[in-house]
Order: sequence, then structure tokens, then C-alpha cells
Amino acid sequence: MKVKILRILLWHAVASWTWDAQDETCGICRMAFDGCCPDCKLPGDDCPLIWGACNHAFHLHCILKWVNSQTSQAHCPMCRREWQFKE
Amino acid sequence: MEVLGSSDCNLEILETLSDDAIQEITESYDGFFSSVESLIAGTGDSFVEDEFVSHVYCLCKYGLDSLVRDHFLRSLEQAFEKGGASSFWQHFDAYSEKKLHNYGEEIQAVLCKALEEISVEKQYHEKCLSIVVHALQSYKEQSSVDRQTSDTERVHLFSRFQSMLSSTLMTTLPQYFPEILHWYFKERLEELSAIMDGDGIGEQEDDCMDLDEKLRYKNGEMDVDEGYSQGKRLGHDKLVKNIGKVVRDLRSIGFTSMAENAYASAIFLLLKAKVHDLAGDDYRTSVLESIKEWIQTVPLQFLNALLSYLGDSVSYGTTSSDLKSPLACCPSPSFSKVVTPSEGIVRWKLRLEYFAYETLQDLRIAKLFEIIVDYPESSPAIEDLKQCLEYTGQHSKLVESFITSLKYRLLTAGASTNDILHQYVSTIKALRAIDPAGVFLEAVGEPIRDYLRGRKDTIKCIVTMLTDGSGGNANGSGNPGDSLLEELMRDEESQENVGFDDDFHTDDKQAWLNASRWEPDPVEADPLKGSLRQRKVDILGMLVDIIGSKEQLVNEYRVMLAEKLLNKTDYDIDTEIRTVELLKIHFGEASMQRCEIMLNDLIDSKRVNTNIKKASQTGAGLRENELSVDTLTSTILSTNFWPPIQDEPLELPGPIDKLLSDYANRYHEIKTPRKLLWKKNLGTVKLELQFEDRALQFTVSPTHAAIIMQFQEKKSWTYKDLAAVIGIPIDALNRRVNFWISKGVLKESTGANSDSNVLTLVESITDSGKNEGEEELLTGEEESETSIASVEDQLRKEMTIYEKFIMGMLTNFGSMALERIHNTLKMFCVADPSYDKSLQQLQSFLSGLVSEEKLEFRDGMYLLKK
Repeated sequence: MKVKILRILLWHAVASWTWDAQDETCGICRMAFDGCCPDCKLPGDDCPLIWGACNHAFHLHCILKWVNSQTSQAHCPMCRREWQFKE
Repeated sequence: MEVLGSSDCNLEILETLSDDAIQEITESYDGFFSSVESLIAGTGDSFVEDEFVSHVYCLCKYGLDSLVRDHFLRSLEQAFEKGGASSFWQHFDAYSEKKLHNYGEEIQAVLCKALEEISVEKQYHEKCLSIVVHALQSYKEQSSVDRQTSDTERVHLFSRFQSMLSSTLMTTLPQYFPEILHWYFKERLEELSAIMDGDGIGEQEDDCMDLDEKLRYKNGEMDVDEGYSQGKRLGHDKLVKNIGKVVRDLRSIGFTSMAENAYASAIFLLLKAKVHDLAGDDYRTSVLESIKEWIQTVPLQFLNALLSYLGDSVSYGTTSSDLKSPLACCPSPSFSKVVTPSEGIVRWKLRLEYFAYETLQDLRIAKLFEIIVDYPESSPAIEDLKQCLEYTGQHSKLVESFITSLKYRLLTAGASTNDILHQYVSTIKALRAIDPAGVFLEAVGEPIRDYLRGRKDTIKCIVTMLTDGSGGNANGSGNPGDSLLEELMRDEESQENVGFDDDFHTDDKQAWLNASRWEPDPVEADPLKGSLRQRKVDILGMLVDIIGSKEQLVNEYRVMLAEKLLNKTDYDIDTEIRTVELLKIHFGEASMQRCEIMLNDLIDSKRVNTNIKKASQTGAGLRENELSVDTLTSTILSTNFWPPIQDEPLELPGPIDKLLSDYANRYHEIKTPRKLLWKKNLGTVKLELQFEDRALQFTVSPTHAAIIMQFQEKKSWTYKDLAAVIGIPIDALNRRVNFWISKGVLKESTGANSDSNVLTLVESITDSGKNEGEEELLTGEEESETSIASVEDQLRKEMTIYEKFIMGMLTNFGSMALERIHNTLKMFCVADPSYDKSLQQLQSFLSGLVSEEKLEFRDGMYLLKK
């Protein structure tokens, strides 16, 4: 039988990760979501995104800074709705 | 004075002379003449002498003593010219035709004999002279006309005689005589040198001999117990005595300076030969010490002995002051006879050492290029050269000669950039050893840097040198990368030390210590190039200097790092981490930030990979045709921080595609809300092909793998169909397929046109007759076609924005110089994206436009192509 058998021993693939967000950049710091906020060095787990109830995403650090700086109830910087973290 | 006085008297008494007196004068005058002749000819006896004395008395009585002196000396001169001088030169007539180096052994005997004869003759003449002196003196004592002391009379006459003798010989001196002398001394010195070299132990004893001992030798206290074997000692003494005799004889006939010249030049010649002999083409050993030792043992010994011999045996008042070398600088006349020889020997030592240093230095400088080529091994030669230069101070000679040889041998189109860089690094290291201040390095480095800036692959080579540290050396010659990495580490250490110093030792005392350690720049330093501190030699800094800015270097490094990381399948990045850490020290944390993120991606990928594997293991068993998730590993990038990656579409076969999407899903599960985007054309695939007779392993790119996997389903494909299935353009497919064809796995058969050529799987590898057997593990050879966009491509992309500006500028202004374009861009392109390119980058972009025939370059000006 002249059958050739091909066997894959190892397949090392390359991929890139991306945040599954609609926008490209953070509305607060204007940096790319796939990058990191100005205070961080490493993107990804160290500088995660967070979604609000209004479905707007920001760098966690950015929105926290924003929320903490507001005296009364904080609003989403994009749509001015009351800011609530998405469940 | 005395002569003048007597002639005055003569005029006055001429009138008063009686006939008798005239008669007496005439008689004694005639008698004097004949007795002088017989006296000088040596035929007379004591009777003649008495007669002579009485005639002298008589003549002196009438105040004619000056006549006596003049006539006697003239007769001596005539006699000497006729006899001594001519017979002396006759000895050497036979050698007049011969060239230097060709006199043969017998010349020594001839020279000695001739000198002996002439000395005997001279001694006889001196005897005659002393008779006259004696006669004159005794007359003066009798007549008590004691206007002058007896000694001045004697000194006066003898010096006249001496100068008469020398001038007679000098005027008849044949041209070849100095050569004969030179040759004689050369032969004798070589003989002596051979005797001294003969006994190694004796020589070693000599090494330890310091100057004091030398001086003791000088003063004649030569001690047999000083480690010389008796025989050697004797031979040496005898030889030196012979030479000393010759020198003394030469001096006595007024050839002092000629003799000095002859043996000085012979010594220097011998020294030069010795230096050349010792130094040779071997740079692995230091020769300076042995040369110094040799100077101590041979020429200085010789001079010691010679000078002391002469010093002890000097018997002529006139020559005693000639003991000092006439070439020695400004001997003070107040030196006593005891001090003079030791001064002389010190001077000789200095002269000889200087000469040796200079000779060695010239020798080394001429070969500096070769020395630097095998630098780490040749460091003894560099050390020698350093010492020589400290002594001679002829650094500029080094710079000039080295630059010339660099231009001639290194900075040519034929030399590879790698070699030039390697040589540059060696040059930096070697010259740093010679001159820690880096002044000459600056002068020498300039042409290399200028040249390297003109080469396109310079940055790439530098980065390769920096990063290919441990063994990754493709060219095989030496290990260029290793040395640089080592350099980086060394600098790292020294930097730490410097930091320590600055922080903790700022008190006044330390400041004072630092200040007192300050040294001025060498005189050769170019005042325009900043002070010592800024010129601190830093190899990496000098390499960056070639490139222009560290940003460019970091950028190039990033591209190379990306390439390297993408080709890794085992997540082993220890060496890369190390390199990045070292580079961080030099270029700062901020500029290496992106590289760090890239490395971090690899580390994260490894972790994620393990997590995903663990999660999937719980799944059910594999169905047929399905691949285990274990075969899949991945590198997950933070794209924003990597250099642009060339994305190519690729359709993977079903099972693989499923595997990948499963993997991506798991990732999404673990890392919500992040997701994976595959770059299917990138990565590495190891696969095994089983033929009926053998199995072959290949390591290829995913595209290659996709191609060959298609042949599992169908044994033959046309290019067109295959390209459609895999989803890549036909020309790209062509290149990939060639790999499999060259391996003998696929076979091409010609169809109607090139698109319908048919590829068939080769069933048995023996059919193809190619690659008989051996199991091949290869990284597909088109791996050189990189997945990362090169720096030049990036630059071109970035620069195209400015193309419109440049075109507009040139339409308005007609023609512009490079600098003006650069400045105008800087002035007007301030908004997003601001113009941040260097002059070189702009230049290379413009020359690209010129080659695309959009612009024209004429007389240093760019203008629009019409």
C-alpha cells in the first residue's frame, strides 16, 4: 500500500489577543484598549477593562480614578448616565 | 705672542749683527737642517742628537726659536705624510673596491696592524718632538729668559703636532675607511653578543643587575663571581680589550669622533636587528623586557668595559676630555674624570633604550592592524606598544599609520560589515588599553564610523552582534557576539561602582582626593571634543554613535527580538530576558518597555497554554481525524507593542482549524472578556511524513504544512486549485511549493500553461533520487523571508506621509538641499504626526524617491523630476 501518512507532531501557532469591546480606545485616556492606561506598564491582565451598565468600556484604572474624583454620584463620561459597574 | 716678539727683535738687531755672527747662524742653520732630517729619518745616533741640541741652542741665542719650531714641525709633517700616513692607507687599499658587509675576517688583523704601525711611528715622532722641547726648555733655563713656564711650551707644541697629524690623515682619508671601521665594530659586537648569549644562566644573573652594579663594572671592578663563567668572562674581556685598543689607537691619531660614530652606529644596527629578531610577527608575548635585558647584557656591558678600559689607560692630556660621547647632549665641562664615565654610561643607556623603544614602536605600529585583528591574544604586544609610546610620545604616528592601513585594508567594499564592526570593537578595546583617555581612539574611530554610516546593514549587524551572545554565531569566525555581551556586563558592573562612588563619597576629603587625581588631557586631544569625562570609553556608546541614536538601535533590536520570539516553540527566553535587562541598563527602562512587554507575552503565553491544556484534558476521547490539543501550543501577542507583523491570509485544513478555534474558545472562557485572533500564517509546525520506506521529519511554516496536508486528500493538484483551497496567491504558493519539490516530496509536471501545472505527491522517496535518506530536521529555508516588517519598510511607510509635503515644497522652491528640507519639515509638521525623523532617515527616503524617479538629485540639491 502506497499510502503516505502525515502526522502533526507539534503545531505552534501565533495569535494576538484583544479585548472584546466595541471601541478601539478608552474614552478617558484615549489609549488603545489593547494597550494599557497611562499608569500601567503591562497590558492585559494587569490593566483590565471594565464595562458599565451603559455598555461603555474603560480601563479599570481610568474609570476608578474618574469615579473617585466625583463628589456625588459619578456618571459615565461617554453618555452621562449614572455610572454602574456591569454585573 | 712669543713669535711676534722675537721677530720684532730681529729687525732691530739685524743692523748690529757682525759677520761672525752671520757666519755662525748660517752654519748652525745648515747643521740644524741636516740634523733634523737625520733625526726624523731615525738614522742618527746620540751624536746627532747632541749636535742637534747645540744647533738649537745656537739658533735660539739669536732669537730664532720660532724658526726651530716651525721647521721641525714641517719636517715632521712631511715625513709623516710620506711615511706613516701613506703606508697606513696602503693597508686598506685592497678593500677599497669591496662593498659593505664584505670585508672578511682578515680586516681585523689588518686594522690592528695598521694602527699599531702608525702608533709606533707616532710615538717615534713624539720622541723627536720631546727632544726639541727639551732642548728649547733647557736653553731657556740657561738664558734665564723665563717668560713662560716649561709646560705651556710642551703643551703648545704637542697640540700643534696632534692637529698636524690628524689633519694630515684626514686630508688623505679614503672614502671607504669609515665603512671599514663600521664593519669592524659590527663584527666585533656580533661576536660579543654571541658570547653573551651563549650562557643563559649568566644572562639571567645579568637581568637582575641594576645600574649601581653596572657602574661598579664601569669602574673596573669587574668581578668574576658575578655569575659569569670564567671562560666566557675571559673571552669577553679579551674581546673588549682588543676593541678598546683599536679605539684608543684611533683616538690617538685623531679619529675620536669617527670611532665613536662607527661603534655607535654598529651598536644601533645590532640593537635594531635584535629588536626585529625578538619582536618578529609574534604578538602573543611581551618582548620589551627581553629587549631591555639584552641592552643591559650586550651593548651596555660592552660600553662599560670599553669606556672603563679607555678611562684607565688614557695617557694623553689631549684625549682625556673626549671620554664623553660627542653625541651626548651638552656635557658640562666641569665633570671630573671619575664622574664622566658613569654619566656617559647613563646617557648611553638612555639613548639605547629610547632607540629600542622607538624601533619596537615603529615595528608594532606598522603591524597594528594585524595585532588588533587577533586582539585578545595579542594584548602583550599592545602592552609593549603602550610602554613604548609613553616613552617616545609619538602617538600621532600611530594614529596616522593606523588610519592609513584601515582605509587601505578594512574600509573597502570587499570587507563585510560584520568584520568591520568586529575590528572596530577590537580597536576600541586595544586602543583603550594604550590610551585610557580615548583621545586617539577618537581620531582613529572617526573614519570607521563615517564609513559604517554609509552601509545599510550596519544597524542590523550591530544588533546581531549585541544579541547573538551565547553561541549563536553563524559565520564561525571567532565569537563576535559573545565579546559584546561580555562587554555589556562588564560595563554594568563598572556602572554600579560609579554609582556607589557618587552616592557615598561626597565628603570634602574624597572631593579633594578626586581633584588631586585629576590629569590633564594629553596634548594631542582635540579641545573641541569635550573633556576627559565625557570621552569615557564605552563600546556600546561608540556603537550607538555609529547608528546615530539609541532609538534606532532599540527599534532594530525590537524587530530582531520579535523575529526570534515568533520562531520559538518552547517559550525558553532566558537569554533574551538577560539581553533586555542589560540593554535596559544602557538605554533606560522606558525605551526597552516594549521589548519587555514582548517578553512578558511569551511568559503569559506559556502560562495560558498550560491552563488551556489542563482545562481540555477533561474532555472526551478524540474522534478520528481529530488532533489532540496537546499538539497545539501558541504564542499570544499584545499586538500594539510588537512591530508590525506581516499578515497573510491562509486557509488551514479542517482539523487544524477546529483545533485552533477550540483553543481560542477556551482562551475566551479563561480570560473573558478577552479573545484570540489567530495569525494563521505564523508559527512553526513539526510534522512527520511516512513513506513506504521511511519516515521524514520536517519543521516548516504553517503555510507549508497546509500545502502538504492537502495532498492527504488528493494526490495531485493544479496550482490554481491548490492556491484557491489554501487561500494564498499563486506566486506565494509557488515559492512554498518549491520547498517541497526540493525535498523530493512533491513533483511538478507541466500542464498546458503555468497555472495548470500539476503537482503530484511522490509516493516513494527513492523514486525521486533526491536526498538519499538522511532524516532531516530543517527550518524551511525560506525562513529568511521574515514575518516581521523590516525597519526600512516601516520607515518607508511612515515617511510616505511627508512625501506630499516634500513635493509641495519643491514645487514652490524649485530645488532644496537636504538640510533645508529637513528643517522645513521640522518647522511645519508639528501636528499629528509630528516630524521626528533624523537627517539620515530623510536622506535615505529621498534617495528612495530619486530611484523611483520622482525626484532628481543634482549638486547636493533635490528637485522635482520633470
